[in-house]
Amino acid sequence: MSRILKLGSALAAVVLILSSCAGPAATIIPSASPTAVPATATAVPATPTAVPATATAVPATATPAASPTEEVSPTPEITPEPTPPPAAVAGTLTIWADNVRTPVLTSVAEAFTAQYNVPVQVYELGFGQIRDSLILRGPAGEGPDIIIGAHDWLGALVAAGVVEPLDLADKAASFEQVGLDAFSYEGTLYGLPYVSEAIALYYNKDLVPTPPTTWDELKTMATDLQEAGTVDQGYCLQKGDPYHSYPILTGFGGYIFGKNADGSYNPEDVGLDSEGGKAYAQELDQLVKDGLLVDNVDYGACTAMMTGDAGANPPRAAFWMTGPWALTDFRNSGVNYGVAPIPMMENQPRPFVGVQGMMVSSFAPNKVLAQTFLTEYIATDDAMNQLYEADPRIPVWIPLETTVVATDPDIAAFAESAKFGDSLPAIPEMSSVWDAWTIAINVIFEQSQDPDAAVTDAAAKIRDLIATP
Amino acid sequence: MTAGQKGASRRDAPSPISSLIWRVVALAVIDAFAITFGYALYSGGLTIAAAALALVTFAINVVFLVDRLYPLRWISPGIFLLVLMVVYPVLYTVYIAFTDYSGQHILSKQQVVDQLESRFYTPEGSASLQWRAYRSDSGDFLIWLTDPDGNRFLGDPASGITTVDPNDPRSGPLDPADNLPTTIDGYRKLTRAESVRYLTSLSGLLITGDIDGQPAQLHILSLDRAEIGLQRYTYDASRDVVVDHQAGTEYHPEGGFFVASDGSRAPAPGFVDFIGLDNFRRVLTDPRLSSAFLGVFTWTVVFAAGSVILCFALGLALALVFNDKRLPLNGVFRTLAIIPYTVPGFISALIWVGLLNPTFGPVNSFLRDTFGLNPQWFADGTLAKVAIFMINTWLGYPYMLIVTLGALQSIPSDLYEAAEIDGASAVQRFRRITFPLLLIAITPLLIGSFAFNFNNFTLIELVTQGGPSVPGSITPAGQTDILISYSYRLAFAAGKGNDYAFAATISIFIFAIIAAITLVNFRLSRRVENLI
Repeated sequence: MSRILKLGSALAAVVLILSSCAGPAATIIPSASPTAVPATATAVPATPTAVPATATAVPATATPAASPTEEVSPTPEITPEPTPPPAAVAGTLTIWADNVRTPVLTSVAEAFTAQYNVPVQVYELGFGQIRDSLILRGPAGEGPDIIIGAHDWLGALVAAGVVEPLDLADKAASFEQVGLDAFSYEGTLYGLPYVSEAIALYYNKDLVPTPPTTWDELKTMATDLQEAGTVDQGYCLQKGDPYHSYPILTGFGGYIFGKNADGSYNPEDVGLDSEGGKAYAQELDQLVKDGLLVDNVDYGACTAMMTGDAGANPPRAAFWMTGPWALTDFRNSGVNYGVAPIPMMENQPRPFVGVQGMMVSSFAPNKVLAQTFLTEYIATDDAMNQLYEADPRIPVWIPLETTVVATDPDIAAFAESAKFGDSLPAIPEMSSVWDAWTIAINVIFEQSQDPDAAVTDAAAKIRDLIATP
Repeated sequence: MTAGQKGASRRDAPSPISSLIWRVVALAVIDAFAITFGYALYSGGLTIAAAALALVTFAINVVFLVDRLYPLRWISPGIFLLVLMVVYPVLYTVYIAFTDYSGQHILSKQQVVDQLESRFYTPEGSASLQWRAYRSDSGDFLIWLTDPDGNRFLGDPASGITTVDPNDPRSGPLDPADNLPTTIDGYRKLTRAESVRYLTSLSGLLITGDIDGQPAQLHILSLDRAEIGLQRYTYDASRDVVVDHQAGTEYHPEGGFFVASDGSRAPAPGFVDFIGLDNFRRVLTDPRLSSAFLGVFTWTVVFAAGSVILCFALGLALALVFNDKRLPLNGVFRTLAIIPYTVPGFISALIWVGLLNPTFGPVNSFLRDTFGLNPQWFADGTLAKVAIFMINTWLGYPYMLIVTLGALQSIPSDLYEAAEIDGASAVQRFRRITFPLLLIAITPLLIGSFAFNFNNFTLIELVTQGGPSVPGSITPAGQTDILISYSYRLAFAAGKGNDYAFAATISIFIFAIIAAITLVNFRLSRRVENLI
């Protein structure tokens, strides 16, 4: 027993010595953690004013608490770990971006740091990961200040309470209204839009000198090319891709969600099995029966057929509706392509319009700084230009859009198509739609179910999912 | 005194002092880390985690200081990791299953209260202010405010907001650019661009003033604008309500939201609420789950059992061949057969999907050209299941081959010699000696493999995504969906966003099912071994 006592006391002594050595480290961590949790960060300066009697004495003690944030900025000594976590700390702006935007934002951030002496960290995440990472890690104090995102995440982000309203003030006038509307949720603006995208008709200029203006014309051209053996598939539409078939749905009078009087989507009104929705299903069914649509074709197969395996072979398809993200593939392949508006169907076909932008986290330690970065620095010709160059889509920054539309006929065609588009629904109920809709398209491609029944079942599934608490 | 302890002290005996020093130093390092880390956790608000850490550290100290617990020393790191990596996540999953943690209920109640309490409102007619900051050499700030009428105020964290006296002796010379003093009492004016660097500190300042006698606070909204506002919401902990001071309404927590008496919600997200057994009730009563359950469950068992049997059969067959000394180039074949195991499963599975593509894949172009067949691998339920078995067998047999080869070599060769002398045929030797002895060694691995395939989400998701879909079905269950992939579809690809709590609940049910099956399996296999 006495041995244990001796051991214990010896241990206590060594621990005391060691933990006093670890003293500096121990004070660094707590000073960092309150800044990571905004609630406590504001609580620290609260003390001086809460007790006016000691107010004059307190600033002396309050200063050390505030000083780490400003000592940090000139020399980046806040990163003692070799690999700092991609979480924001006070005084350093942290941005989560995808692989395309990370290099651009890094160079924009370097210029920002040079001008304003504020360090910026840009971390790369998969585009699809950013939304859920913010929802899970933001509230835990491990999130960034700013994220890159798509406007249709907004429903989920706002419902979770992780994004902050944004005030663009007088800069708002330089943005296309469609971009601002897309990043508004229930009347509040949450993000700074920078590009929008919508699909249009790619066509092969060697095979089709003038693009079709009506849907029937397109089908005739596609059939002729197929029958002549010039192509494998005249018109390409990948299986199981609701997004790319939406213009056909709207072109035949169908819809996904009805709209309220103020233009917002009404999740109570599912229109996949409306008369127009059934006409859309029958049209797809007919295209499959006529041999114009083929089972087992995916996005990659369409790219390969349209570009002739990236230029290695002659193209094997003449028409494909997709978005500006495919431009790089087409341009690199050397195929003689053109982009035209989606041909007229029974109604004006409306593609989905998606908008990308930047949002400020509700748990950002540097909220005002982050908003300032967006309004003062991203909302400028120079930054918008760099973002556009990295990944050409339709700019929503009006000065840039004007020049791009005038100089790039492809982007101009996408912009034209987007004018008729419907904003991709941002309401959380949209997550109920994709699976059921995909299944409906698949069973039509596989010819395993009657088209009317396929969309009726899908709509019933969607209604059922939305009604679930 | 046990033998073990005697042994331990004898082992300590040659160098008691150095052993003691080692122990004390090692423990001291651990404790110092624990204290530093625990303090950081505690001051970060993670009291439970800090307490758990303290408990674990105390346990480690006891184990290392008390000689009687000597054997525990060497497994204590393992136990610690087990608690950290297995027990804690399991407990957390169980906890989540009793809450409504999902799309609209992500934040804690305190975080929602904090969000509400940080909102402010400005009384009718008050306009927003222009601001400039002044900074002293010691890092303190003053905020100069100008309202649209040209009235000027000075905000000081120490003394609040006061009207500026034009003849204040502390003011330095005026800056002709904006007509503001360049310095005030040693505080230097920051330019607009300089203010950016200090924005986070500036917006964190608490500068109080008053509006009609009520305590108000300065809020910096952007690089140019600031407002003096009254706190809009306060939380009354004693009554558990949030009070809206502007509208005069009260919101009480209900169902994970703050709700007013007329049913309207406070303008804030929901919070995570404890909802008892509701999720479990939902799993048991949800028609989408119960109507599809039987079909999905049957296929899950068939898939898991079938995969194990096929992989084992192929692995065993190859092992018997490779185990035969007469086979030339034995080593080469062994190496080649194990290659599928070394290619990442993700890649193999995706390559198989490409190979089996009915339009473009080489498998179908061969079948078309030679037999005139064109099987629709992923459009037909039965064929999709065949494809899944094929791919999973390809992925899984090398493992069975490796373990079977090892087990075969451990079967004593004299048994075979004896059998040969007794005139047993090769088939008899296999049935009476090899197979029974092999099963004893392999059965636990087969059960493990069964449990693994029962939850083989990756394969299903990579190959078929649960498809093909069941025409006319109201549930999102596809024909090749197993329980785990189906619950993923229910919890994450449906409804109004990610339903983590529902997913946690389903995973508890799946755990119970697998545990039950494994238990039965072990019982049965023990009985089989006894029979042999």
